[in-house]
Amino acid sequence: MHKINTYEKSREAFARAVRVIPSGIYGHQGPAEGCYIPVEAFPLYSSKADGTYLWDLDGNRFIDYMCAYGPNILGYHDPDVDAAAARQRAISDCTTLPNTVMIDFADLLVDTVASADWAFFAKNGGDTTTLAIMTARAYTHRKKIVFFKGYYHGVAPWTQKIDYAGVIEEDVMHNLYCEWNNFEQLAELFDTYKGEIAAVIAQPYMHGNFMDNHLPADGFWKKVRGLCTANDTVLIVDDVRAGFRLDLAGSDHYFGFEADLICFCKALANGYNVSALCGKDFLKNTVSSMSYTGSYWMSAVPFAAGIACIEKMRKLELPRLLMEKGTKLADGLRSAASKYGFDLRVTGAPSLFYLRIADDPSLRLHQEWIAECVLRGVFFTNHHNHFINAALTDADIAETVEVADEAFGVIRERHPR
Amino acid sequence: MKDTTVLARCNLYAVLGAIPHLLYLDPDAAALVRGKNIRVGFSVKNGPKATLIFKDGEAEMVKGIEKCSIKLWFPSAEKFNSMIDGKGSPIPVSGFQHIGFLLGAFTKLTDSLSAYLRPEPEKLQDPAFFERSTTLMLYVIGRAIVQIGNHDRVGMFSASHITDGKIKLGIGDTLAVAIHCKDHHLVFNAFPNDCGVTSQMVFDSLQTARDLFDGNINAIAAVGMGQVRVSGMISQVDNVNRILDRVAIYLA
Repeated sequence: MHKINTYEKSREAFARAVRVIPSGIYGHQGPAEGCYIPVEAFPLYSSKADGTYLWDLDGNRFIDYMCAYGPNILGYHDPDVDAAAARQRAISDCTTLPNTVMIDFADLLVDTVASADWAFFAKNGGDTTTLAIMTARAYTHRKKIVFFKGYYHGVAPWTQKIDYAGVIEEDVMHNLYCEWNNFEQLAELFDTYKGEIAAVIAQPYMHGNFMDNHLPADGFWKKVRGLCTANDTVLIVDDVRAGFRLDLAGSDHYFGFEADLICFCKALANGYNVSALCGKDFLKNTVSSMSYTGSYWMSAVPFAAGIACIEKMRKLELPRLLMEKGTKLADGLRSAASKYGFDLRVTGAPSLFYLRIADDPSLRLHQEWIAECVLRGVFFTNHHNHFINAALTDADIAETVEVADEAFGVIRERHPR
Repeated sequence: MKDTTVLARCNLYAVLGAIPHLLYLDPDAAALVRGKNIRVGFSVKNGPKATLIFKDGEAEMVKGIEKCSIKLWFPSAEKFNSMIDGKGSPIPVSGFQHIGFLLGAFTKLTDSLSAYLRPEPEKLQDPAFFERSTTLMLYVIGRAIVQIGNHDRVGMFSASHITDGKIKLGIGDTLAVAIHCKDHHLVFNAFPNDCGVTSQMVFDSLQTARDLFDGNINAIAAVGMGQVRVSGMISQVDNVNRILDRVAIYLA
């Protein structure tokens, strides 16, 4: 039997936070958007992290399958990345003139990412998706953008929907929506808006929240690529979430096509704050002409960290390694579920798997199971994909499966067959 | 931002639609119509039509204006909305013999409803008034969600993302309403049971519900504090909440 966590200090900290921070913890790492159900089952603040582990304020240790929602790809505090960052910090970081480490990082990305002829750096994934959209519009002189339903491309107004607070109709009036994997519907949009579509933006596969994740249908990307080329429409791959967990050369490379623009962030520097838009040569002049920058976008430390991260990912052949670990975990979880008569669906790529207990369409059974896992020290979340990192060991996977087994047992006792 | 016809629907089906609940909750209100057997029809040109049926101190609202004792006609949604705001008077076009009811008991009833839905702060100090007021607000909000989700352009966009199911909105263990969704069309249920609930949002107390309705606390923070509990198909709750945001725009 695993010990059951309690979170008194997290609760106290949250009560303090709501007095001075809107909603206490805003966004996806908060208890509401993070779907912490029930909230009492989840820690809210961390005290430290190392490798694949996260400790909360109350001293509970978790095997962390959210990996800071993606950035932790090598393990928290990876010694090689941290050493490279420390070396650069001793030299310079945020300065009036950029450090040439920026060029080194761009060179490395161009060498690593198959579709990249250049790299433009920023801080968050949303900085790069917004730049990608602006680039497409500037290049094509068109307004309309096609999205696949279930998408997430950040929080800028153009990425949101008309019913979101603070979004006005004009922000989203040129957004067109299409079902994932439905090429015919996409082609119809191109017919309806002939000569008006600046870009198609998509994640490499459908890893939206609240739904099983769906890989591209056979030939889907090839047809999309062809349609975009034939219509002079820019094809943007938002690889912020999946980037480097499928293929170091880019997820477009993994699925056998080339994007015109590809957005990276999360795993790019193992938690150091940098994002990158990479693109084809024909769009470089357009990007050069744009007014787009930020106070910390040329800080050198994250560039040094990014170089060390990519070099280590290459050395470890990381996507293959993460896929293996993810597959081992998925097999163990499915087997534990099956022992108690539950149908656990594990979808998406094994390196960023999505979980759902399919026995209850309301998902409350799933939420109960996730809560029991978290209470026992395995940090899963309810309706978002999870992430594998390189520091996850076979022993961690075995412990996770033990916890999952115990949690399934609790749920089965609560809901007898 | 506001569609006057949708506002008229909210005013008719949600605000006046709360009169049956008022009679159930407030004995003084029920006494106003005890022994009355009368049907008041509301007809808004190019807008909603419904009849409030009063019988034996109780009431129910039905769609349409067939068989009403007294019919109130409004030349536009704007005129109807003005009347609800207390800025105009209804025009009876039939049933003039019941004008006494309209000017007497019915007016007192709507005044009472207004007192509960737009309460003076000091009145909320009375626990019984507070409970009735907050309960009535839940009914009004639930009914307005349905009108906005089915008829407001932005609300319909939110409803288009709601999967089929039954979304429960509750206060504590005893009070709840539900929104049923089928093919993105919403239906209000004032007396739901827990059977078939696919998602729920439950406020831990009348005070939490009141504070949220009045905009005094933030729903996201309240979820973090455990004052509001959500579970089940969260995307349903999420999209109902987006419609709820528009209820505030229409009925604030």
